[in-house]
Amino acid sequence: MSGFYSAKSEQEVSDFIFENFNKSSPLEIVGYNSKKIGRIIQSSQTLSLGSMSGILEYFPEELYIKVLPGTSIEEIESELRKKNQFLGFEPNDLGYIYSGKSNPGSIGGVVSCNLSGPGRYKNGALRDHVLGFKAVNGSGAKIKSGGTVVKNVTGYDLSKVISGSYGTLCAVTEINLKVSPIPEHEETFLINNIDYIQALEIFQIALDSSLEISGACFFPHDNVSFLTLNDVKKDTSALGLRIQGPKTSVIERIQSLKKIFKDKSVIILDVYQTSIFWREVKNLEGYANTDDSICKISLPITNMRNFIKYFENVKYKYFLDWGGNVAWCSLSNQQDLDQMRIFCLKHDGHLTVLRADDNFRKSEEFLTYSNSSLRILSKKLKESFDPKGILNPNKMYSGI
Amino acid sequence: MPLRLPEPDTNVIENKKQIIYDLNKISSNIIHTDDEIRPYETDGLSVYRQKPIAVILPETTEEVSQILRYCHENKIKVVPRGAGTGLSGGSIPLADCILLGMGKFNKILETDFDNRCVVAQPCVTNLAITESVQHKNYYYAPDPSSQLACSIGGNVAENSGGVHSLKYGTTTNNLMGAEIVLMDGTVLKIGGKHLDSEGYDLLGLITGSEGLLGVVTEVTVRILKKPESVRAVLIGFDTIEDSGNCVADIIAKGIVPAGMEIMDKPLIIATDNYAKAGYPRDVEALLIVELDGTSSEVDTLIDKVLDIAKMNKASYNRASNSDAERLRFWKGRKAAFTACGVLAPDYICMDGSIPRNKLADVLGHINKLSKKYKLNVANCFHAGDGNLHPLIMFDSNNPAEMKKAEDFGADILKYCVKVGGVLSGEHGIGVEKRELMCEMFNDNDIQQQLNIKNAFDKNNLLNPGKVFPILHRCAEGGRMHIHKGKDKFPNLPRF
Repeated sequence: MSGFYSAKSEQEVSDFIFENFNKSSPLEIVGYNSKKIGRIIQSSQTLSLGSMSGILEYFPEELYIKVLPGTSIEEIESELRKKNQFLGFEPNDLGYIYSGKSNPGSIGGVVSCNLSGPGRYKNGALRDHVLGFKAVNGSGAKIKSGGTVVKNVTGYDLSKVISGSYGTLCAVTEINLKVSPIPEHEETFLINNIDYIQALEIFQIALDSSLEISGACFFPHDNVSFLTLNDVKKDTSALGLRIQGPKTSVIERIQSLKKIFKDKSVIILDVYQTSIFWREVKNLEGYANTDDSICKISLPITNMRNFIKYFENVKYKYFLDWGGNVAWCSLSNQQDLDQMRIFCLKHDGHLTVLRADDNFRKSEEFLTYSNSSLRILSKKLKESFDPKGILNPNKMYSGI
Repeated sequence: MPLRLPEPDTNVIENKKQIIYDLNKISSNIIHTDDEIRPYETDGLSVYRQKPIAVILPETTEEVSQILRYCHENKIKVVPRGAGTGLSGGSIPLADCILLGMGKFNKILETDFDNRCVVAQPCVTNLAITESVQHKNYYYAPDPSSQLACSIGGNVAENSGGVHSLKYGTTTNNLMGAEIVLMDGTVLKIGGKHLDSEGYDLLGLITGSEGLLGVVTEVTVRILKKPESVRAVLIGFDTIEDSGNCVADIIAKGIVPAGMEIMDKPLIIATDNYAKAGYPRDVEALLIVELDGTSSEVDTLIDKVLDIAKMNKASYNRASNSDAERLRFWKGRKAAFTACGVLAPDYICMDGSIPRNKLADVLGHINKLSKKYKLNVANCFHAGDGNLHPLIMFDSNNPAEMKKAEDFGADILKYCVKVGGVLSGEHGIGVEKRELMCEMFNDNDIQQQLNIKNAFDKNNLLNPGKVFPILHRCAEGGRMHIHKGKDKFPNLPRF
């Protein structure tokens, strides 16, 4: 019998999973069910956590917020803004690549993907901001790990493991997140008309300084047109460096950058423009209206140059973020994607598919293991949470 | 003081000669006479001692893999050890174990400035990583107070922090990759020089797992550019409450200092006597706030912090005007443990983490317990990240006093959990706090962790007797509540 069950409480989640555990019946766990991320799951049951919504605790001076999994990102961010705080991992709003418009989804869904915005290389990934959680594992047992404090070595750190596990280990019922103060001021140092080799060199120089750059992205000339700001030219490449902090310090650091890059064509984006520019970067808004597959290429900075060079004759779009540690790509050809994946595995990195069509979702892998030992251990880890393999089976990897 | 560990396997002890003979074929660096292995019978928790059957000191990952595979196949327990500075007894041997000393893995393999990381073997000291990159103005951020001696592999095992964790995170936030060997000899590479290792976050799981899941044979850690300016300010208060409120206000105003430390009066006096740091002696609490960033940013923030301190009735303040002065401010705090060593023959250092706003409450409770147990205590507190280190002073020549000190420590940690904190911020559970895990976790929570242990090490051979409670002692010691005769952990292996 197929069914859609919207749980209202941790107990209901536990009861529902326990019932399915007894029947060995696979189930799909969803938040708002707004994004078809990961592989297609063969299950007749759906467990929705979207109705388990609300902020349970928020202590600004303790720098944490405790929320239910179905709480919307908008609600959390709006509450934090009242106290001049934000989620330091800058959650990507994948609504743009899934439905062409903003739809940031629920915190449970966001945590399950472990995706992070432009500040990743400086402020850490989403997983670095999850302090603790409660959940129900695959046999229906209520479990918890971590707490609300940043320093904690009390048992295994399961907060890290559930982040980015695509709901394959447990159904999260409560999440404690670290929050950060919103910087007093921010501006963006924008350099135009450079190629990717120059861009990677500029990243190295800027990030090798003590100027505390909190965002470093690059759009090649053929992937810049979606940026909406009038001050950003639409026919030439753009490299952005974000500077945040007390206003006097930001102004000083912008002046330092002007001296370092005095031979470059530069525009300074003010605080208002900076907010829009980095929102467009964070949400991959340039890929809002395409049917292509969207991928995240994660490589050591020094291998990124070789990646771009290697695929320069391939039809695809990309832009760099995280100071050259990540390329967000859009492409339609499956063979090209396979080649990119192989390249990443050979060069100390990996490729993750963020969005793909249903054919891809049925038969292809969204993530890849670099070796079989990791696959074996991952399968055992999955079984340690979900012995009968009923939670989002095959969503993350085929056979896991 | 006897320490309850899993019952030794008499077969293993009887086969000692054969085991040493077999292992010698894998690595000739094996020692087993009483005199040779004495240095390995304890770690930083030196009240407990136990000799292993032998100590083996491999030099390559392949040797580690073969040793573990041999022990896995022959059901021999293995206890890994880095520099042996851990404070919770995580590398204390068992009578029937092979102690796997990683001391020969002591080389920095690569300093990679382009990818802003260092690749190192696990027994490189924490400080040596910074020393290897400081000529280019880089450093490794986590800085546990034992950084001169503690190993980076041990830091991974205990997820070590330091005074800068609020802004720069602990080991887990600064580790990019690792090579680990599982108990069955499987060698795994996790992560690397890229960000976000793919699949389940095994790197996050290994960090802080106290050597129970695998043996680290290589790490890749990220390095940071040194800030342009670092300044510190000393602020004195007439009450602990005022110092706690000041910390809360600093954070509420959106300032994230690089470090914030509070010492109570006994520790102010002890450290000032010892280190001549120039601390004010007429205050009840002393707060050290360190700020880093660009020069103008730091100067602006120092002014803001001093304003906030004034609003919280600070009775003393002094901002550093030179790096020498800043280092002098820290000199006392960094000598806290040594200074307490002068006050009493022995002390134990506890390690709870608490919500910052509970500081006054918890310190008040500790003072009550101090009177109850008739033992002196001094407190330092990583106020930025809520990590409390009460130093309980006693004389180990008096067994009754040692027992009192342990009970005093346990009561403090229980109270930390009661107010919403955790048992350990950075020292780990080890053998020291394993029975207290019942205070924080119920049977489902513990069982889930044991299931994970089983996925990595199905025969429970790697560092057994650590982290998780041993039932007999838990029940016998009365520290675990047995309800209606029901075992709290029915699936826990009984030793």
